[in-house]
Amino acid sequence: MRRRDFLKVAGGAAAGVSAPIYLRTAWAQGPIKIGMPAALSGSNAQYGIQARRAAELFARDIKAKGILGRPVEFIYEDTGGDPATAVRKAQKLVEKDGVKFLTGVVLSSEALAVSAKCPEWKVVFMSTINGAGALTAKAFHRYFFRVNTSGPMGARAVSLYLAESPMKRFFALGSDYAWGRDSVGSFTTQITAAKKEVVGTDFPPVGTKDFASYIAKIRQSRADGVYLALPGQDATIYLKQAHQFGLNREVKPIMEILELENMKAVGDAMVGAIGSSRYPFTVDTPKNRDFVKRFHDLHGIYPDMFDGETYEGLEWLAQVIGKAGTDDVEKVIDAWEDSSYEGLEGPFFMRKCDHQAVQPGFAVECVKDPKYPHPIPRILATYPGEKVTPKCRTEEFS
Amino acid sequence: MANLLEQLLNALALAGLLFLVSAGLSLVFGILRVVNFAHGVFYMLGAYLGFTTVALSGWFWPALVVVPPVVGVLGALLESSTLRFIYRRPPIYQLLLTFGLALILEESIRVLYGPTAKGVEPPPLLQGAIDLGGVLYPRYRLFLVVLGCTVGVAVWLFLSRTRAGLVIRAVAQNSEMADCLGADVARVRTLVFGAACALAGLGGVAAAPMTTAYLGMGINVIVDAFVVVVIGGLGSIGGSMAGSLIVGAAQTWGAFYLPETAMVIMYAVMGAILVFRPWGLFGEEE
Repeated sequence: MRRRDFLKVAGGAAAGVSAPIYLRTAWAQGPIKIGMPAALSGSNAQYGIQARRAAELFARDIKAKGILGRPVEFIYEDTGGDPATAVRKAQKLVEKDGVKFLTGVVLSSEALAVSAKCPEWKVVFMSTINGAGALTAKAFHRYFFRVNTSGPMGARAVSLYLAESPMKRFFALGSDYAWGRDSVGSFTTQITAAKKEVVGTDFPPVGTKDFASYIAKIRQSRADGVYLALPGQDATIYLKQAHQFGLNREVKPIMEILELENMKAVGDAMVGAIGSSRYPFTVDTPKNRDFVKRFHDLHGIYPDMFDGETYEGLEWLAQVIGKAGTDDVEKVIDAWEDSSYEGLEGPFFMRKCDHQAVQPGFAVECVKDPKYPHPIPRILATYPGEKVTPKCRTEEFS
Repeated sequence: MANLLEQLLNALALAGLLFLVSAGLSLVFGILRVVNFAHGVFYMLGAYLGFTTVALSGWFWPALVVVPPVVGVLGALLESSTLRFIYRRPPIYQLLLTFGLALILEESIRVLYGPTAKGVEPPPLLQGAIDLGGVLYPRYRLFLVVLGCTVGVAVWLFLSRTRAGLVIRAVAQNSEMADCLGADVARVRTLVFGAACALAGLGGVAAAPMTTAYLGMGINVIVDAFVVVVIGGLGSIGGSMAGSLIVGAAQTWGAFYLPETAMVIMYAVMGAILVFRPWGLFGEEE
């Protein structure tokens, strides 16, 4: 390609990219569009599908009155769980579809990539799934909001619970990548601070299908509990195999996140495991009972963690747009900061300093209940938002 | 001592599973000269169909008998409807085709079964653990050791002692010459491809109670199977056995004794083989 041709192409592309921003204002009175660049295929599809399920229910619930009297339109894009694809799809949503609000992004790696572009695009990124502490710390900016419980907040809830428990010796097993190693690191810090002992750590590679060697080591360590920071499928396989080795009776599984998805796949072998939950559907508030019923009527299943968290995010966003009286991005952001919302699981507050929603944290145990077709999370302890939310723009707790 | 026994059994159980997958991969390469990227998906299909059969019948054993032939027939159909027409083209076409088949099958399974992993319970006889002189060891893993050995010996006997095995070996050695001597090469290829898929399907059914049936299990296993086949030698059943034992041992013992380097060990062995004996331990130099 000659230089002149290159300039033509580049110039054309630049014009194409900037033009829709002007067009967007002209169409402002159409529907309020919410873009969901979610992983709907590939190994993390389960989480993207949760986000979509929540959006489908929300769309039905809000259909009659809309937001500001305008209809709400969801536009889904499949990212396959790949950060580069997520950015491309998000860009398409913003520039071609004229979306002002992005949500439903699944992986933290995707979220970090998409969020970094939002100040330039001038659109709101609402996280309802992403756990990485950095999003509201190092990588924070004005256009990012996190409605969900973050990874460090989940780990905090578990640590608070374990500090009070009779267990003394722990083994920590984390997947060999950033999240697994970070979680084991902060678990070790907090457990040591509670005057308890971490007697061994190991980092199996992501996608491990045989945990026999780790199970042998955990048994030898004579720990009371094993802390697991393994992504969904790896956790399922670990629990299944540990059960076959008869290990779960000797060493209690403790999970950073305890989700329905795992409970359905593992079944009874998971009963007794404890951990944190971003949203346990068994929370007993009138609002949640009603939500669970509506969700079950529509989808025929009980809501998992990100069904609940995403629904809360969407409802809060609608409330904030209503309060701002416009869908103008800057005004919505101003209205959201330091605002409160009554969520499914209790009160939420959006901190102005890092846009992390302060909300209750839960320690739960996996139990059997004849009323349900699979094991369910039973709430062991609820911690108020102040106790489980880190100091502003950090991943540390006071 | 008890610990050593446990480590040995762990390596053998994993090797048994790896053998069921890599044997088919190796056979297909030996006879069709195709590196079958879709092989892992047939393993995954076996696991999911196993789940369905157990869910419908309430028993595990029928799954072990019914699913492999079903997967095998599907494999044979796919071979005769797609792969058959492009053997004469450069290898890249076959790679792309099998890769495409893998994607189509995997996404079809996702659409049909949804994203949640499916747990399969082992049969009552093989549930729980038994005490082997101070070691609590899961019965199901012992079954995997036995299954791997049995299938290995059966395939070896079939290839070396039967007339059909003789024809297959002839096609593997020189397909044009075998064709001239009256062997129906196209049919042999279809049957071998189907049999290889059936073996992968058997592996999938056997793996389901240990790992659950989940999306991505095919890609997960195919990487290990490629390593097994490179170490053992493409096209050699004995090589697949030896390779499975080496990879099984490298993974389980590595994870136990040298956790930080567990993955490296397996690839280091493969690297050494590629440098000093590129045709594999049991393969034949070309």
